[in-house]
Amino acid sequence: MRVDGIPDVPVSHATLDHEGRLVAADPAIMALNDQAGGAVGEPLAVPQLATIARLARRLGILVSRGVCVADHEADLDLWIRAQPDGDGLRLAVSGWREVRHRSVAPRNAGAVAEAGDLVWEADGALRLTFVSIDAARRLGVDALALLGQPLTGLFTLDAAADGTLPMLEAVARRKSLNEQQARIRQTGARVVLSASVKHDAAGEFAGLAGVARVADDALPPAPQAGLSSSFTEGLDRALRTPLARIIAHADTIHAQAEGPVQHDYVDYATDIANAGRHLLELVDDLVDLQAVERPDFTLAPEPIDLADVARRAAGLLAVRAGNAGVAIARPLRELRVPASGDFRRALQIMVNLIGNAVRYSPEGGVVSVTATLSGGMAEAIVADQGKGIAPADQARIFEKFERVDPNEAGGNGLGLYIARRLARAMGGDLTVESMPGEGARFTLKLPA
Amino acid sequence: MSVGPEHAVRQSLGTRLDAARRLGERANVRLAGEISDYFLAPESRLDERTRVTLGRVLTAMVQGIETEIRRYAARVLAGAGAEPKAEQLLKGHQDVVRRLSQAGLLRDRLLMDEMIAQVRSGLIAESLVPTAHPGEQASVLVRLAEVDDGVVASAARALLSAEAQRRTATEQGTPLAGSLPAERHHQLVWWVAASVREGQVAAGGGDPAVDRAIVEAAQRSLASHDEGQRPEAIAMRLARAIDARGDEIGELLIDALGDRRLSLFIAVLGRAIDLDFESARTIVLEPEGDRLWLALRAAGLERVAIARIALALADADPRRDIESFADELDSISAVPVEAARSALAPLALHHDLRLAIDALVRESVR
Repeated sequence: MRVDGIPDVPVSHATLDHEGRLVAADPAIMALNDQAGGAVGEPLAVPQLATIARLARRLGILVSRGVCVADHEADLDLWIRAQPDGDGLRLAVSGWREVRHRSVAPRNAGAVAEAGDLVWEADGALRLTFVSIDAARRLGVDALALLGQPLTGLFTLDAAADGTLPMLEAVARRKSLNEQQARIRQTGARVVLSASVKHDAAGEFAGLAGVARVADDALPPAPQAGLSSSFTEGLDRALRTPLARIIAHADTIHAQAEGPVQHDYVDYATDIANAGRHLLELVDDLVDLQAVERPDFTLAPEPIDLADVARRAAGLLAVRAGNAGVAIARPLRELRVPASGDFRRALQIMVNLIGNAVRYSPEGGVVSVTATLSGGMAEAIVADQGKGIAPADQARIFEKFERVDPNEAGGNGLGLYIARRLARAMGGDLTVESMPGEGARFTLKLPA
Repeated sequence: MSVGPEHAVRQSLGTRLDAARRLGERANVRLAGEISDYFLAPESRLDERTRVTLGRVLTAMVQGIETEIRRYAARVLAGAGAEPKAEQLLKGHQDVVRRLSQAGLLRDRLLMDEMIAQVRSGLIAESLVPTAHPGEQASVLVRLAEVDDGVVASAARALLSAEAQRRTATEQGTPLAGSLPAERHHQLVWWVAASVREGQVAAGGGDPAVDRAIVEAAQRSLASHDEGQRPEAIAMRLARAIDARGDEIGELLIDALGDRRLSLFIAVLGRAIDLDFESARTIVLEPEGDRLWLALRAAGLERVAIARIALALADADPRRDIESFADELDSISAVPVEAARSALAPLALHHDLRLAIDALVRESVR
């Protein structure tokens, strides 16, 4: 019954009587209903279809919805329209697309606005119902005067090299619009239009929601939109508590605090707790990332003792190092290395560096942490005896979401990126020296 | 170094006791918060999307007013030759939102009622499914902007503009100072002014010249605020100008939802049953919908129109239960128009009188 490979499958119909029983149906609907154990003369057996039919019958109006139904091992995306008709009901089912398993949510192709883009929206008659005012002003256009005007009052559309007009295609075929070359009518500035199609409940064309991006380098590049602070605030709040709870429960199971637990489950609990901690670290890092990526990010420097910071960071990781059979050699107790920086952030950097060093050290290895004054700068050096980092990779590991060894477990690839940003925000730097097979030496420099 | 062991040893006993006492107080506040959080009914909680948007809008509004006051007051000071003071005022940086929240001022019922209602309306309007019109017919607000009746056309154009302005400000997170009714705006401007002044006094002591400049800036902000330019007020003006006849109201309401103009929907409904915008909005935003069905009956709508409105709102607002509405639709459409009107009569009382009655009831229940 599934119709593969045909882009626009015709609509299938069915009729129901006043009690919601199936009177007749096209083969596709019939097959779907049969599989679910239904038959003519009985109520619809596919729950999603039955719900919509029942709602339409009770409301006495057209109800249309997109649903996803199971069909053997695959899932189908269907568009259902249920229209009351006299005593009974007409059912129209279209779509019949197999749902592909997606690792990420589908993106609304066509119109993704970035900072600086002119956002516009038009109704089904292609009259402008919204134009972003500031962006329009930057392009020399009065947005408010254009509201209600035809879309072509704002843009002059240019045909592509092959003579086609993507806008016509988009409207006629109800597909999202990409790469429509155009000019701002008032100023002649070249822009590229993209838009997604707005559909009404019946699937009809109800307008376009689009953006116009300046085509050439007429405008200075807009600052890249980072993560908005409200996003990370929400993330922080929404994830931290549940994650903490998951970890706490998993640890309780692991510790068999509530009584004996089968061995497999104890291991699963460890996995759950570790995964939870990993996610919690990621949340912390994203919140940091949002902070360090703000253009106005600064840290208030205060006098700190870098040797003390290094000793504390080494102390914090002593247990983890002990579990991994790695020793940490820390600066002598009486050593003082005065520096200027933010205590908490410097500690965060050192914990990150020593944590990495412990992770990449072989069992029985030694991580050496030293602090010294050199060339007018305070330096803290973390050296390990791991497998080292190839010169080609040494710049890469400071990039976002890059890792020293992508195959290694643990870490999310944000730590070094954030650490370097923090070091630089304090007027210092974070660098690495390494040769494959000879371990790595990370140096945190701060103003003395 | 900020927290070294040497420093800790030097801490006097008194400081430690003070710190312990403060921690005790904080624990108390935390417990009170935790208790009220636990006992909050699920349906009175804000969902995450509303909460985040509300936080953003509230912050943008307060910061908008703060920036306006600082800039203008600094100009006044600079004009009087007090550049250093102007500079200090401009550079003064404190978290006004946090200060006002701490003082409990932002907990003001009327202010929060307005803010939450605006945020909710915005979110629902965004989620409404647009309606395609047959042929090349434009959406309802664009059509209204082109009618021969000049009063209707200009109000419709003004609504198009006002909504575009608010949407631009919301999308870009730029400060939006003028979206409150006059009384709320008035109150908020003085609160922000007091908070700006507090920061100045803390930094450099009291100064009559700075005080005068802040007052002048606040008064200027108040004078430039025109609540009639808010989309809510313009929508009401448009609804009055259209003055839909009984048999046109249903279609206009459905068209407004199909054009995702919730403000127009609220205004037309308010006009039809003689309610002000705020009261009509309260009814429209209630997830239970019971008073909305009554209002639609009072406006003379029939079963099919009520069902279409209910379905459109339920599809846009996950708090609504269309199944239980379907169960009740027959009894809803059987309510006589007159009975619906008299049931809603208390709502048609003067806005301020209603607020006073509500407050009276609330206080006597305590």
